[in-house]
Amino acid sequence: MPTDPRRPGRAVRRRPPNPLRALVLAVFLLFFVVPVLWLLLAATKTDEQLVHGDPLSAGSWSALRHNWDALTSYQDDAIFQWLGNSALYSFVALAITLCVTIPAGYALAMTEFRGRRTLLVATLVVMLMPNATLVVPLFLEVDAVHLVGSMWSIILPYSFYPFGVYLTYIYFSTAMPRELLAAAKLDGCSEFGAFRRIALPLAAPVVALVGFFSFVANWTNYFLPYVLLPESGQFPVQVGLGTLLNNVPQFNPTVGSLEVQRPELALATLLAITPVLVVFLFSQRFLVAGMLAGATKG
Amino acid sequence: MTRKARADGARRSGRSRRRAVLLALGSAFTLTVVACGGGGAAGGQGGLKKAPQTDGPLTVWVDSTRLAAAQLYQRQHPAVKMNIVTYDGDANGSNYLQTKVSLFNRIRRGWPDVVFSSQNNEVSWAVQAGFAAPLNKGLIPRSVLDGFARGANDPCMANGTLYCLRNDLSQTVLWYNAGLMRKWGYRVPATWEEYRALGEKVAAGHPGYLVGSAGDNFTPEIYMWASKCGANQITGPKAVTIDTTSANCTRMASLLDTLIKNHTMSTSSVFSSDFDKNQAGRILMLPGPSWFGGSLFQGTFKTPAGQIAVAPTPQWSGDPAPSAGNVGGGTWLLSAHSAHLKAGTDFLTWVTTANDYQGKVAPGYPAYTAAAKAWLANQTSSRYYAGDIAGPLQTEAGRVWPGWGYGQFSQEAIWAATVTPGVTAGKTIVSLLPAWRNAIANYARSDGYKVGQ
Amino acid sequence: MGAPSHGASRIAWPGRAGHGFVAPYVVLLIAFGVVPTVYAIYFAFTDASERFAGLSNFTTAAADFRFLPAIGHVALYLLVWLVFLVVLVVGLALSLHGLTVRAADRALRFLYYLPGALAGAASAMVWLFMLDPAVSPVGFLLRALGYDTFGQVIAPGHLPILLAVIAFWTGAGGWIVVMYGALNNISPDVLEAARIDGAGPWQVAWRIQLPLLRKWIVYMVILSFAAGTQLFVEPQLLSQASNGVAGRDYSLNQLSYDFAFQNDNVGSAAAISVELLVVGLVVAGLFVARSGFFDAD
Repeated sequence: MPTDPRRPGRAVRRRPPNPLRALVLAVFLLFFVVPVLWLLLAATKTDEQLVHGDPLSAGSWSALRHNWDALTSYQDDAIFQWLGNSALYSFVALAITLCVTIPAGYALAMTEFRGRRTLLVATLVVMLMPNATLVVPLFLEVDAVHLVGSMWSIILPYSFYPFGVYLTYIYFSTAMPRELLAAAKLDGCSEFGAFRRIALPLAAPVVALVGFFSFVANWTNYFLPYVLLPESGQFPVQVGLGTLLNNVPQFNPTVGSLEVQRPELALATLLAITPVLVVFLFSQRFLVAGMLAGATKG
Repeated sequence: MTRKARADGARRSGRSRRRAVLLALGSAFTLTVVACGGGGAAGGQGGLKKAPQTDGPLTVWVDSTRLAAAQLYQRQHPAVKMNIVTYDGDANGSNYLQTKVSLFNRIRRGWPDVVFSSQNNEVSWAVQAGFAAPLNKGLIPRSVLDGFARGANDPCMANGTLYCLRNDLSQTVLWYNAGLMRKWGYRVPATWEEYRALGEKVAAGHPGYLVGSAGDNFTPEIYMWASKCGANQITGPKAVTIDTTSANCTRMASLLDTLIKNHTMSTSSVFSSDFDKNQAGRILMLPGPSWFGGSLFQGTFKTPAGQIAVAPTPQWSGDPAPSAGNVGGGTWLLSAHSAHLKAGTDFLTWVTTANDYQGKVAPGYPAYTAAAKAWLANQTSSRYYAGDIAGPLQTEAGRVWPGWGYGQFSQEAIWAATVTPGVTAGKTIVSLLPAWRNAIANYARSDGYKVGQ
Repeated sequence: MGAPSHGASRIAWPGRAGHGFVAPYVVLLIAFGVVPTVYAIYFAFTDASERFAGLSNFTTAAADFRFLPAIGHVALYLLVWLVFLVVLVVGLALSLHGLTVRAADRALRFLYYLPGALAGAASAMVWLFMLDPAVSPVGFLLRALGYDTFGQVIAPGHLPILLAVIAFWTGAGGWIVVMYGALNNISPDVLEAARIDGAGPWQVAWRIQLPLLRKWIVYMVILSFAAGTQLFVEPQLLSQASNGVAGRDYSLNQLSYDFAFQNDNVGSAAAISVELLVVGLVVAGLFVARSGFFDAD
């Protein structure tokens, strides 16, 4: 393993680990992880064990197997349909978001053009707008262009990701050495050429960051698809989870006999969050890699 | 110096900002015109202005429990083209249906033809929104409507017109553990006075055992409604009279307070893990709706067969007019905008009255009397219950007190947010009755109701 | 602010390539940001039949019995939540960044982030069980605090803390990742120089790392403040878990939803949204002006 180039002297001057720091990190580790661990274990139990057993005990393979069968038999594999829909909406929107957001954030940070500040302000304003009332206008817009019921009615609003524009903007404006661009200009690079040859290769961390956050935002969005989509077959997994939740008697006592048990819901939740965690692990590799930009700046 | 530069910059960018805003405003208003060309809700009271009828598929919205009904209908009627959509059934007051209908009203299309809702107060907004079609003005014959249990379709009435059909009844009864009652030599109480006395006896003789639960959102409907408490007298489409401190209310509130104090009345929700873990095995009696039997005892608590029995709701001694409460019971609505009224009406009639669904498949006590008979026979043959359940359930089906209305605001939610936290904090229900009234009045007013005393 | 004084640090190419870079984004911004926002503002000032309504939507909203309590709730929540967030996120990111074992800080970042994947409905069940002393893994802790039932845990007075804990649990991991990434951007030479000058870890953090994180922290505060005023998911979740005993009608944004989707009063719903927007903008404006957020360094 190569030593970390960004932390010279680490190997030379190793300080003893700080016990206070270790303690704080450990306490927060428990805080963040215990509920997730509980959820993980819940999927391996029966509903009875969930209530009567030790909260952090494991169930059994057979219970897991049973929960899996019960979950997948819910409305004929509906869970896979939901996951498929989520993947379709999230990944297509992710691709559009990256193509649109990274150049925009770059231009806002590194180039001067008319309307730059207006754009920054407008982006901030719409980011701060509570979305309770945006649903009605969005619905009317989507209807005006005859996209109600189409997957684009979800994907296009998802693709608009102002948070990512700001991430990119701050990244480039704090980490990108301007001298590099100036040199590129002197070398006769076109503006687009400079972006492609110099900025993009340095942008891996922020691409990973924006990509990850936009993916998560799309994947976990509940309200927009819940309100906009007309067919239950089009629902993404978050809305599906809501449906399952509403079929658990403990959450909705009016439900009849065709109920969903809580361990099934736990299992469905785990399935729903797995893609997010996979994407996190994947993007984290880029997140901290190659941030050499700062080196030349200091 | 910086300040000057700042001001200068602000002025410059201010100009372009204004231009951008103007541009955006322009495009927004164009959109308004395009999108909202229709405007205004159609439909109204009484008669129905039919939409042009076509041959397309019948769009039916159901929750996942009622999906079986729609699928069964499709199997039995293969010629009918159906588009079955599942949604949450407006469970827990999600307002999904109302949200979607108000969006559809804006674009003047998209409405489903037939909708199931697990709530029984949809009519309170659906008539005003022009969504619900009047059913007793030529669509469904009198003879069919007469077959429903007395008062079953009360939630569907607005200005004397019927706007929905009731799916199931949720009349309250007294559930009890027959084995324990026999073992301890207790008699099933017929009056609330006997009920209270038995509770006091249990507290002394069998501490830890329960005669009921007042920790749920259903508490006002199980106890206050059955006691004829006038907390929810809907007197007109947008008018309500609230009286929570009359004798009818205080007698029940103080009964609950007494039993809460001696710990025979639980303050945990019967659906909470806490109740399931620590109290579910110690139920001697539990006043509750008809669906407690299948959903709670058989489903959640997994009480073994042969223990649970049903008695009529206790009455106040000397009361000449017996009464019961009611907790829920879903409804079916037909869209006034439907282009398939005939097919929609046929489905609606079948799904609420046919023995094939209501009698044999439906989980709840059918609102249609003939189907209820078949349903009860089915339940009896399952041999889960101890003794006869048909008698008490049928009796109470006709006794639901009509003085408790079906407003747009949720009495369950109001009780949960106002009274439950107070009881948890150790206050008596009697002391919370005025606060309860205030909360009901507040919610009613914000839903546009006129509030009377 | 001031484009003239800072223009030099940005690269001016001849032509309008800058516009080319932002054009696709501008299209999306207008379609899904500006137009709906302007539309919502338009709603706030019109009645159901789209006539100008002056401030009547605002007065209707303000007269609602839930309005003032909701402001109090949100204010209290904001106080708890922002302190939690800023102090703990920056502190944890610095602690993680200072770890000497690379594998540990990588693993910790992942584990801290885990709850971030559990958004909305997905975690209702988790919190129902965590907060019920009868079945919670931390039941001993809750009982030690004197709470024996779920109802006691979710008593009205506890809500600001509970909601902040829930929000922190789901949201902090993401911000820790952002801050960690930003810390990586600080040149190791600078830190090394400081250490050679005899600065301890606290001084390095306070004098060097924090000032260089300024933009990121400002960004986090602006967004978190706005997100805090728009509190919705957490009380909704608690309400779902408790069948409406706690968390219903708790925040302004919930009230706005109720207006829009329960009372069919989009105007008053929009009025509340506009008010929240204005509050968010004022705070953002203060921070932006104070920190030179829009300027290049």
